[in-house]
Amino acid sequence: MTSISSDFVTALPEIGLLAVACVVLLVEAYNQSRAAVYLLTLTGLLLTAALVVFTGAGVPVLAFNGLYVDDPMGEVLKLLTCFSAIAAVIYSRQFLTDRKMLSGDYLGLLLFAVLGMLVMISANHFLTLYLGLELLSLALYAMVAMERDSARATEAAMKYFVLGALASGLLLYGMSLIYGLTGSLELGKVAEALHFNVKSEIVLAFGLVFIVAGLGFKLGAAPFHMWAPDVYHGAPAAVTLFVGTAPKLAAFAFAMRILVDGLQPAHGDWQQMLAVMAVASLAIGNIAAIAQTNIKRMLAYSTVSHMGFLLLGMMTGSLAGYSAAMFYAVTYVLMSLGGFGMVTYLSRTGAEAENLDDFKGLNAHHPWLAAIMAMVMMSMAGLPPFVGFYAKLTVLQALVGAGWIGLAVVAVLFSLIGAFFYLRVVWLMYFDTPPAESPVYGQHAGDAVMLLSVNGLAILLLGILPQTLLTLCALAVQMSLR
Amino acid sequence: MDIKTLYLVVPMAPLAGAVVAGLFGKLIGRTGAHLVTILGVLVAFLASLLIFQDVLAGHTFNGAIYTWLTSGNLSLEIGFLIDRLTVVMMLVVTFVSLMVHIYTIGYMADDPGYQRFFSYIALFTFSMLMLVMSNNFLQLFFGWEAVGLVSYLLIGFWFTRESAIYANLKAFMVNRVGDFGFLLGIALIMAWFGSLDYQQVFQMAPQMAGHTISLIDGHPWSLLTVICVLLFIGAMGKSAQFPLHVWLPDSMEGPTPISALIHAATMVTAGIFMVARMSPLFELSDTSLSFVMIIGAITALFMGFLGMIQNDIKRVIAYSTLSQLGYMTVALGASAYSAAIFHLMTHAFFKALLFLGAGSVIMGMHHDQDIRNMGGLKKYMPITWLTMLIGSLALIGTPGFSGFYSKDSIIEAVQASHLWGSGFAAFAVTASVFVTAFYSFRLYFLVFHGKERFHNAHAEHDHGEEGDSQGHHGAPHESPWVVTVPLVLLAIPSIYAGWPYIEPMLYGGFFGSAIYIDALAHPAMAELGAEFHGPAAMALSALTTLPFWLAVAGVATAYYLYMVRKDLPEKIKEKAGIVYAILDDKYGFDRFNDWFFAGGARLLGGKLWRWGDVAAIDGVLVNGSARLVGQIARISRYLQSGYIYHYAFAMIIGVALLATWFV
Amino acid sequence: MDFASLVFYFLAAILLLAGLRVVTAKNPVHSALALVLTFFTAAGLWILLEAEFLAIALILVYVGAVMVLFIFVVMMLDINIEEMRKGFWDHLPLAGLVAGLMAVEMVMVLGGDRFGLSAPTAKPASYSNTRELGLLLYTDYVYAFELAAVILLVAIVAAIALTLRRNPNRKNIDPGWQSRQTAKGHIRMVNLKPQHPEYKEADE
Repeated sequence: MTSISSDFVTALPEIGLLAVACVVLLVEAYNQSRAAVYLLTLTGLLLTAALVVFTGAGVPVLAFNGLYVDDPMGEVLKLLTCFSAIAAVIYSRQFLTDRKMLSGDYLGLLLFAVLGMLVMISANHFLTLYLGLELLSLALYAMVAMERDSARATEAAMKYFVLGALASGLLLYGMSLIYGLTGSLELGKVAEALHFNVKSEIVLAFGLVFIVAGLGFKLGAAPFHMWAPDVYHGAPAAVTLFVGTAPKLAAFAFAMRILVDGLQPAHGDWQQMLAVMAVASLAIGNIAAIAQTNIKRMLAYSTVSHMGFLLLGMMTGSLAGYSAAMFYAVTYVLMSLGGFGMVTYLSRTGAEAENLDDFKGLNAHHPWLAAIMAMVMMSMAGLPPFVGFYAKLTVLQALVGAGWIGLAVVAVLFSLIGAFFYLRVVWLMYFDTPPAESPVYGQHAGDAVMLLSVNGLAILLLGILPQTLLTLCALAVQMSLR
Repeated sequence: MDIKTLYLVVPMAPLAGAVVAGLFGKLIGRTGAHLVTILGVLVAFLASLLIFQDVLAGHTFNGAIYTWLTSGNLSLEIGFLIDRLTVVMMLVVTFVSLMVHIYTIGYMADDPGYQRFFSYIALFTFSMLMLVMSNNFLQLFFGWEAVGLVSYLLIGFWFTRESAIYANLKAFMVNRVGDFGFLLGIALIMAWFGSLDYQQVFQMAPQMAGHTISLIDGHPWSLLTVICVLLFIGAMGKSAQFPLHVWLPDSMEGPTPISALIHAATMVTAGIFMVARMSPLFELSDTSLSFVMIIGAITALFMGFLGMIQNDIKRVIAYSTLSQLGYMTVALGASAYSAAIFHLMTHAFFKALLFLGAGSVIMGMHHDQDIRNMGGLKKYMPITWLTMLIGSLALIGTPGFSGFYSKDSIIEAVQASHLWGSGFAAFAVTASVFVTAFYSFRLYFLVFHGKERFHNAHAEHDHGEEGDSQGHHGAPHESPWVVTVPLVLLAIPSIYAGWPYIEPMLYGGFFGSAIYIDALAHPAMAELGAEFHGPAAMALSALTTLPFWLAVAGVATAYYLYMVRKDLPEKIKEKAGIVYAILDDKYGFDRFNDWFFAGGARLLGGKLWRWGDVAAIDGVLVNGSARLVGQIARISRYLQSGYIYHYAFAMIIGVALLATWFV
Repeated sequence: MDFASLVFYFLAAILLLAGLRVVTAKNPVHSALALVLTFFTAAGLWILLEAEFLAIALILVYVGAVMVLFIFVVMMLDINIEEMRKGFWDHLPLAGLVAGLMAVEMVMVLGGDRFGLSAPTAKPASYSNTRELGLLLYTDYVYAFELAAVILLVAIVAAIALTLRRNPNRKNIDPGWQSRQTAKGHIRMVNLKPQHPEYKEADE
């Protein structure tokens, strides 16, 4: 242990966020001013982002006796996590106000969830990985159940909780096996131990199965995806928006930490497991999405398919693959923010704009919103010149570069099937006649429209000029690998 | 300011204007929209002037501004090549665009799509600048397609008119043919040179000169010839060269400012610019130069004939544009690239002037475009009359006017060329002088002199295509100042742009290394340079040459037929029925295209649809796979039962399977 | 087989049986009690491993607090266990197959020798398990310890947020609020005019 005070400086973003979360809870208890907690939450997230930049080191720095690591990849992901959370909060302000959910309870839990993500991103130890995951999950379970009068939300929370506990159990079991094998919980030491001396390949593979299963649950990859459609569908749109975006960045970091930082020597084993999960995710996600009539469910399946792509990037085990996966994760979050943000934004009191029919003829009433949504959908479908195209392209390049041409072909095929349901939304918005009465034609908040515009334009702009973000991801991964 | 930033400012300022006017058009209103786009183009023009000075001082630039994507050894870049050829184009584009922007304020004043229109023309300016400033083929192609896209948008601007939609479709289809050739050419370059960067390709070109490829077994073709011909096919589409010219006259369905900016001054000259830019490639292939020259000669002469019988004021000028583009192409074929660019520049001024003048006449005539209904407008529209006269004089090559210097140089260059086909080309461009003079002054006399025919014309047929619903069919009137000021500003270079520049641009090595001429093989320009004794001498000596007297004859004939013996044209029309019919039918190109391509495509499409699409693709592939996908989707929905223990069980099975598989 | 091994197998056997009972018992109270038994036996196994502190914590926390609460809840709720177990026998074959598969794999994979472990040496009598744990928790693992505290805080917040209802229809009255009230804002002074047809409207 070096100096404990320097450790605290390194972990300032987490400490700052924790402090803000506690203040939000206190304000809720004594003041209950909606505006105060709302602004405080945004300020807190911005402050955390600033601290991330401020404490950035450029090289991996270990702290707290190897429990915590601060490296460029983590910093980039933390920054994006904060921004994504800010966007989610702004998008859902009107929604939450309408349903009387905008309170210190909700925002406090949201901040704790973000804290959990930061902890996961910075974890260098099985223990911190697990604690961060639990912190995040616990807050998310509660947020899903927040709309207490909705039976659907309660059911969704229950499913999420029970299945999440099961997944945590699997993960812990896997970790314990690896610990038994290597005698350490610290990722670097685990890798070292595995590199020099693997006592039993079979136990390693067995432990890996459980770890990969836990990971698959968190990412929402098939066959561990079944919670996702129900939870995305059942939760209030604002919560879906949050659950579907920032945590995926944390889950990506989680996978990178455990598989690459910790279990890189077992690459040959987990590569094939990820490949199996990726193909299953692509197949189930893209095909099942077609049969959906609810846009939240549809986007849930689309998430499953996107996670398939992300896993494909990771499984190559190459630098190009990791940075492609990171690029994909970032892109996915950007697109999901747009998609779920639009669903949240269009929802009004007592009615959620969650059925595909609600988007019929949107162009006639809100041409600009329809244009943004169309950009998001086309980007998700992977059409140029939107950023989603490059995300898919870089992953495919990494795959081909590593010699997995068959997998690349499979991925392209399923993407083609998937393009259908994204484009159907565009079709509905532009070429279908709008229903006379629809819940989505209410009053709208200006701040969210502004941000949605920025979001949509970012999808387009990053598609036209993707190199900066690509380089950023590649550099971050390269500088963080040990 | 850093000069590189200045380069970026040139295309970005119009783009910013286009974005603001396009997205926030409603917000900023009509005045805001034209102010912001004009400001953008003005900034671009001023920046181009600064860059012009900088380049004159000897600073050229060639490099990437932004690396878009690196994939393997291929890197896709956005880069600029700023040399003398580029800056001339930049100045022409931004200047004419600025004039057209100002003019549009008056011309489109009552149009509901005002902001949209400004957004489009600013976007066009951006695309055109990206095209000319490019330093690689990819960006060239991007600009190429972007200007085409904006052009289609603008041809179909009045999308409620059926004829506009048809013209739009036609322009699109014809340009696809050209673009296909262009893309093939670029692909060949990519395949053989392994790079899309101009400089690298040009450097490698001499080594590739001897290469042959066999497209058909046993018939080796020179690689460079194939590439050049393919690239030129692209230029034929964009610059409306025979036989891909059919779209340009129809494109006159678009608003007049567009005809001036896109279909006369800038976009249609992109093909000319491209060939001049590729001079290091074309110089290595005599075959392709001959091809270029002959196509240009055919266009110059035969499209001029068509201009002689048109009655729509804009169509007359459109055919004149085709003919002049033919001149430029001939000059390219004769390796007189600098003459082609010189003519491109002067033509941009006087043809934009003519189009804008025509637009002013159309406004004065309350949107009647038939020259038979005009006459005597000189009295009512003095500024328009004077500027149109200047434009016409420049067009027919009156000694001293800008058009004279560029056109005569081309004629002389062709006469000095020794390539196969140059004899025909020389005849064609010389004969065209008479034709040009005739149709220009036919138009001029019919519009501005003679009897005032518009009174009875209005009585007998109420035109009103654009819904001049107020019905203020009074006498023609002069246009507002926003229209006349650009006319005057364009008239100045129409007169003046020849005299001082001919010497440096053609013979003084102005273009430097931007244009490459193999002086040994193609000595036309060198021979001309030896005979050149200054602009004044050239103007004087022209009085004794054939082209001058042909022009005079053309004007005289027009005067005689349309001012003195007004009954003659009708009689000639009756006597020369077949010739007139052929010309009126535009050599049957449209009918042939409609019958052969459109009809053939329909027939083929019908067969393909029946056998291929309906049976194989729809029946088996689409419906079959759609059914399969639907079924799988239903099954997965069934599995997604909603029961928590089903989900948990699925997870456990997943783990068990993974464990069994991998352990 | 030495004494320790004997105790181990004894406790382990009870643990497995009790675990099975948790799943199979028809009465939920029996099921919960069986769970208590598994905790006890697990604590016994930990004592065998000289992890006294953990063993005692397990009994105190899980048995003493969590399970008691759990049993209270189970006894208060009227759960129709038969209704919930309806599909049990239908699903048993497939479930049994998967469970059997997993069990076989675990037996095959997880032999002690595979981990390369040697028997631990006994610690001296003065060795304090609790002290060592405390030292580690507050030094090396302080970050994880704090995180665990945050998780507990989140659990509390979540529980309160999900269960505390500020029901607007409540009839009970806050005495503090009651005593703070003044006439202002509650009493409106109205100037009543004599009842006369002309004044009827002015009163409104």
